[in-house]
Amino acid sequence: MRIVTDPGSQSWYEASARQRVAGLVDEGSFAEFLGPAERAMSPHLPLFDLPRAFDDGIVVGRAQLDGRPVLVASQEGRFMGGAFGEIHGAKLVGLLRAAIETKPAAVLILFDTGGVRLQEANAGETAIAETMRAIADARAAGIPVIGLIGGRAGCYGGGGLIAGTCSRLAVSESGRISVSGPEVIETNKGAEEFDSRDRALVWRTMGGKHRRLTGGADAYCADTVAAFREAAIRLIGAAPAFDLAMLEAEQSRLEARVKRFGDCRDATEIWARLGVNDPDAVPAMTDAAFAETVANVTEASHDAR
Amino acid sequence: MTDWRSEKTARDARIAAGRAHAQGKVVRAEAVVDLLEAVLKPGDRVCLEGDNQKQADCLARGLAACDPAKIHDLHMVQSGIVLPEHLDVFETGIAKQLDYSYSGPQGSRIAKMLYGGQIELGAVHTYLELFARYFVDLTPNVALIAGVSADREGNLYTGPNTEDTPTVVEATAFKNGVVIAQVNEIVDKVPRVDIPGDRIDFVIEADKPFYVEPLFTRDPAAMTETQILIAMMAIKGIYAEYGVRRLNHGIGFGTAAIELLLPTYAEKLGLKGKIATHWALNPHPTLIPAIESGWVKQVHCFGSEVGMDRYIRERSDVFFTGADGSLRSNRAFCQTAGLYACDMFIGATLQIDLAGHSSTVTQNRVAGFGGAPNMGSDPHGRRHPSETWMKAGHEAEVVGDPALMRGRKLVVQLVETFGDKLVPTFVEKLDALELAKKTGLELAPVMIYGDDVTHIVTEEGIANLLLCRNADEREQAIRGVAGYTEVGRGRDRAMVQRLRERGVIRRPEDLGIEPLDADRSLLAAKSIKDLVHWSGGLYEPPARFRNW
Repeated sequence: MRIVTDPGSQSWYEASARQRVAGLVDEGSFAEFLGPAERAMSPHLPLFDLPRAFDDGIVVGRAQLDGRPVLVASQEGRFMGGAFGEIHGAKLVGLLRAAIETKPAAVLILFDTGGVRLQEANAGETAIAETMRAIADARAAGIPVIGLIGGRAGCYGGGGLIAGTCSRLAVSESGRISVSGPEVIETNKGAEEFDSRDRALVWRTMGGKHRRLTGGADAYCADTVAAFREAAIRLIGAAPAFDLAMLEAEQSRLEARVKRFGDCRDATEIWARLGVNDPDAVPAMTDAAFAETVANVTEASHDAR
Repeated sequence: MTDWRSEKTARDARIAAGRAHAQGKVVRAEAVVDLLEAVLKPGDRVCLEGDNQKQADCLARGLAACDPAKIHDLHMVQSGIVLPEHLDVFETGIAKQLDYSYSGPQGSRIAKMLYGGQIELGAVHTYLELFARYFVDLTPNVALIAGVSADREGNLYTGPNTEDTPTVVEATAFKNGVVIAQVNEIVDKVPRVDIPGDRIDFVIEADKPFYVEPLFTRDPAAMTETQILIAMMAIKGIYAEYGVRRLNHGIGFGTAAIELLLPTYAEKLGLKGKIATHWALNPHPTLIPAIESGWVKQVHCFGSEVGMDRYIRERSDVFFTGADGSLRSNRAFCQTAGLYACDMFIGATLQIDLAGHSSTVTQNRVAGFGGAPNMGSDPHGRRHPSETWMKAGHEAEVVGDPALMRGRKLVVQLVETFGDKLVPTFVEKLDALELAKKTGLELAPVMIYGDDVTHIVTEEGIANLLLCRNADEREQAIRGVAGYTEVGRGRDRAMVQRLRERGVIRRPEDLGIEPLDADRSLLAAKSIKDLVHWSGGLYEPPARFRNW
């Protein structure tokens, strides 16, 4: 009895970095750069007696999406929490720089990361900065950069900063976007400020639904590879221009957000102010019911970023 | 002249002393220490209700705060050593002797205190065994118990976590003991009477609701492909083969994986209605998909599980519920059911030796047994046949008069060859023996003895010990599924091959299972949220298990 599953119906959260890419782009169109056979591995991890991965936890390459050329980077959250190291970062930066020359329809970044790899922190931090610069250059050259977030590791630390520079973001319920993770906040500010073991609180504060409602993410998808594919295609078409007017609009959007919600103590208060009728019901809502709720929230969709 | 009523007189005196701190039967939470100091006497045998799940925590804090000059040298007889206060009383001298069953979270502290001689240990019992001794030679003088609510007469509503309470009260109240109950609230009328008021002497409205640990929630998101492979082998090689309908599952991830494969993998094998229909089991959230798919006819529970109350209420065809609609659990009855009415026990362990003896005791942790040895033993008092039981008996017995053949309970150990932190599960010698030697225990804390074990399932295969004809075969059958552990590598290859030819050892391929098929996509639920969806929103998981 061989159990065959349709790659599109596969859970994005459960899939590996490679499975996500395979199911996301047009079938059989993916060609990897610096694949595992080339053994581009971390030069630092052996110093700590830690195992390495042949692809350093990120898969990069070119593919077709809905018949159009795209570049794709996919982080493997199961290798060191998808953290940025020197090689990992260089592969992503290289891909973004290649985009300026090859002019694809978009660059897709499949985030699944806890941030910078502690064992190679300087190289990792540099990679974050270089990636943000490269994204700005690519966007200035007219190439949309789309972030897809729904992996086990979420999108934290430097990953959260990079996500903030993307043209558009799609997120699923299990996806989380933030800079400091729950444990970091608890360690620095105490459990009274943020109880990292209260997982419902974590998801309320950093999870996909909250990010979508406040316009932090531009699309909300079901946890399937097919849903992320559909969202990616849609967002490429809806990417904003990258010019002074857009940046000023983004600045004023963020300023307005702080002013409107800065005194809220819990995400449910924010949702209430956004006009959600029953904020407490949001976490348990089905994807369809949530889509209706989002449609009634004006702040969730905007031309900025 | 002999006084035949001295216990009764002593009891009346204790109650009279306690009444000074009560209004009728009702005592304020602030007066707990005064009440306990009035009722207890040095050297008393005391049951401080610590169950597998619910804890009389307000009374535990009260006991720990008593003056050791007044209350000392108590003999604690309780099934669970769970809260820090349960051991604090031994440090201060309030308590001296201990007889118990289970000590999960306090396992390492209890080991230290045993080594340090702060506890005089009677024995580590199984649940049924300790309950039995409550009625013979360990009857409590005072029982400190927990319930959800009570009225002023003392009528007690235990709520879904009835657990040990009826047994403890029965033994204490009917043998001149004093019963003190803590409740979350005092009400005019309880939703149902679990314990009649004339068995309860004092009622305390606790400062906060009693503590319940979600012990039986296994997050499907954490299930591995190895566990799924082992589960597939168990379903095909044991459940299907023996037609196991009546059973008990342990609480590990392996058995949880089996529960999640029933509506998918087992359904494809055409096993619905033929296996796993009647259960002695806590309300495991991972059983929800099987229940919703119509696999499960009936479940009797030892206790409840946090978040399952609404679901159970709406599924009274499956669960035992009271007139108020909520679950009625009962540890003593369910243990008895597991012992006599189930054809199979299947669960995990930490160590297995070459004879198949197993233990969860390691050198620095004494976790105790709980109910596993009751469920995981062949009851020699069983006198009713079933196909499963007879088939197992037939495999085990080749000599003797067939007309006098009796059945065997299936006792299955489900383990990965290497456990947490790559510690080998298979060992030459159990740590329990070393612990017994160091602490001077007469009986080593073996959880399940080798002669009760019928099958061992690992990712390498199934060893059917029923078919082994001598100790050598048994040892090689165990080595033959012990993978790359020292024990596994020490196998006699030729003999293991012969055992495989006889079907004593069966590999996944012998069962027609392709290991690469062991994929998480087979799980009926892949996350706690999936379980909530399966339940139609009735299951309400605790916050720590949520990711939404």
